[in-house]
Amino acid sequence: MGESAIAVRALRKSFGAKEAVAGIDLDIAAGSFAGLVGPNGAGKTTSLSMMTGLLRPDSGQILINGLDVWADPRAAKAVIGVVPDQAPLFDRLSGQELLEYAGRLRGLPAAEALRRAGQLLDVLDLTADAKRLVADYSTGMRKKAALGCALIHNPPVLFLDEPLEGVDPVSADVIRRLLTRFTSSGSTVLFSSHVMELVEQVCDHVSIIDKGKIVVTGTMDQVRGGKTLQQAFIDLVGTRAGDEEVLSWLGSSSS
Amino acid sequence: MARLLVQLKLLLLRNALRSSTGAKIGFITSTIFAGLVAAGTFAILASLRGHSAAVDLTTVIFTVFAFGWLILPLVAFGLDATLDPATLALFPLRTRPLAVGLLAASATGAWPLANLVGLLGVTVGLASGAFGLLIALIAVVLEVLFCIALARFVTTSLAGLLRSRRGKDFAVFLVIPIFALYEAFAQVVPRLSAEGKLHESSFNGVDTALRWLPPGLAAHAIQDASSGRPGPAVARLALLAAVIVVLVWLWIRSLSRALVTADTSTQSSAVRSAALPFARYGLRGTLAARFWIYQRREPLSVTYWAIVVVIMGATSVSTVTTPRYLVAILLSAGFAGVFVGVFHANSIGLSGPAFSLEATALSGSRALRAYFSGQNIALGLVGVPLLALASFVIAAVARHPVDGFLGLAVDLAGIGAGLAVSNILTAGLPYPVEKRAGNPAPRPAGGYTGYPLGAALACFGAVGVAVTPVVVAVLSTSSEPAAIRMPLLVLGAAGYGLALAWAGVRIAAATAAPKLPELCQTALRSRL
Repeated sequence: MGESAIAVRALRKSFGAKEAVAGIDLDIAAGSFAGLVGPNGAGKTTSLSMMTGLLRPDSGQILINGLDVWADPRAAKAVIGVVPDQAPLFDRLSGQELLEYAGRLRGLPAAEALRRAGQLLDVLDLTADAKRLVADYSTGMRKKAALGCALIHNPPVLFLDEPLEGVDPVSADVIRRLLTRFTSSGSTVLFSSHVMELVEQVCDHVSIIDKGKIVVTGTMDQVRGGKTLQQAFIDLVGTRAGDEEVLSWLGSSSS
Repeated sequence: MARLLVQLKLLLLRNALRSSTGAKIGFITSTIFAGLVAAGTFAILASLRGHSAAVDLTTVIFTVFAFGWLILPLVAFGLDATLDPATLALFPLRTRPLAVGLLAASATGAWPLANLVGLLGVTVGLASGAFGLLIALIAVVLEVLFCIALARFVTTSLAGLLRSRRGKDFAVFLVIPIFALYEAFAQVVPRLSAEGKLHESSFNGVDTALRWLPPGLAAHAIQDASSGRPGPAVARLALLAAVIVVLVWLWIRSLSRALVTADTSTQSSAVRSAALPFARYGLRGTLAARFWIYQRREPLSVTYWAIVVVIMGATSVSTVTTPRYLVAILLSAGFAGVFVGVFHANSIGLSGPAFSLEATALSGSRALRAYFSGQNIALGLVGVPLLALASFVIAAVARHPVDGFLGLAVDLAGIGAGLAVSNILTAGLPYPVEKRAGNPAPRPAGGYTGYPLGAALACFGAVGVAVTPVVVAVLSTSSEPAAIRMPLLVLGAAGYGLALAWAGVRIAAATAAPKLPELCQTALRSRL
């Protein structure tokens, strides 16, 4: 394993009495397609927010390509791209304006930002809607536009929070192929999800997070241990059983 | 069905009382206000007894109520969960009983009751004799029914539109005429009546048109019945009842259509845009471009500017045609500066979660200086010409058009001061906002309700102090020749305003830089 693209040490964050992230250590090698999976409320979004400089940790260190996110945010922000949860966007801009804006914010020259915006819109299958307001986009289109914004400055490290939630299969495939191409050139992707099949399909590295702690981390095969990721996940995180008797009326065999 | 829906409405009202403190206070305030409106309307209508223009004024009041019922649901769509037919579309219901039930649910609540009680003032004010009283009671009930049917018809026909993005945008714009009407009533009516220009007979002409509208039919039926003309009275009420029947029939038709028609919000047209304007001027130009586009495309931004202009008109109206016209010009310009500050004092909170796109790219005070100055450039590009135009219009109305330059001088200082204080407050006193059902303008999230008031006071204080030197300069140079005085004042004020805005940007950026993640978290908590 070469130098870590993402290195997290003893990361902690509490909100009042609730410890959302309880000491996370994580190493993601450059060129990895890494997944961060966990149940709802496990601390995925909180961890990603801290790694991308949007939420101040209580303690711990985060290095992106060797740059400390919290000691030198300017340098660290320059090497990352982020698609936050819910993909919040400036929805009064058209798709093209939005991508150009993202490129200009990242310091691309105006002509280059415009050129890349056009190409990304094309690859993301948004060219026909490039001049429509993002406010009128569907969920899948918004996610694709957000991905375009995160990629326009060609960041070495890309963070995605639930990138495919609410995205139709065709758009999901477009996004998946784009990200695979992105990592095969040596760039790194870390994305959070609770869709196990997806993570299993695309990731070569996976970390399972539960109750603010990394339960297991490693290559896909190491973590699965011969089972499906879904089964490995449920074995590790535990499941809730025993509700069946209560709903005895449910189903067509009852009245 | 009717009983079930009335119970649902009562349950919704009761739950409003049980939910958060804010909602509770809102509900109680609204109920008290409804009571006051009921008592006030009753008193006003009752006091018309014996007036020569009683029937005319009653007609006007009846029409105003119908107008209120027409407008309010457009702005407050979502306030009443039973208003939107889509919420009921999934249930296996037949249209006719559903319609009766929805009408009954509409008639339930403090406001419909206040409406009924208030309008019953006509039994004292206009009606006389047993027959007159009977007709008055029927007329009031029909008037309230008419109002409800009208409101239902309008909201149901427009439900698809009101749920769409465009419809919501449109509803935001309705704030402008409502605010202007409110200002007109608050400023113009008291002055006109104090000067004796507004009295009962002023409404004589109005009535000739309004008497043929449904509310006018109700009022005139009472008048006819009370003055011994039972025929016309009954005929008018019969006509009104027919109008209501037609309205309800139209409403039922549009209801059955609305229950099975998809909303059209996903259909939209493209914008005309080549590339971002001024984006080639670095980071500042890029941010200016984004804010500039938002000033035009975000309905709330347009509304804010329109309200600034209405405020300028309202503050100048009482003195603009008097010898103290200069007060109108200077005061309106000062107020404009204050409200430029007030409306932009939480711009990161108002950006909402989208700010995270900027927060992931920007860092350090240099980038934040670009952020604030880019915003100010965009606001200045809109604000300076708009306020200048308003000041010159006010000066022209005062018949001293050249003195518009004096207004412009205060405008420039006021905009500079307003932008400076709004930048500093954006960085120093940010708060999350949320759009709630029934209110097109975002309000502070729970726990932050005091923030806008604090920000407004800060804007009043800071802009008031900041424009004082310019006002003093204007007043103390009144004997100088205009050709020298005007350019000097305008240029001096422009420089002063720029200096204030520049200082504001520096302070705001220095404040925001170390707490950018916290600002971003505040913005992420906004629900827009």
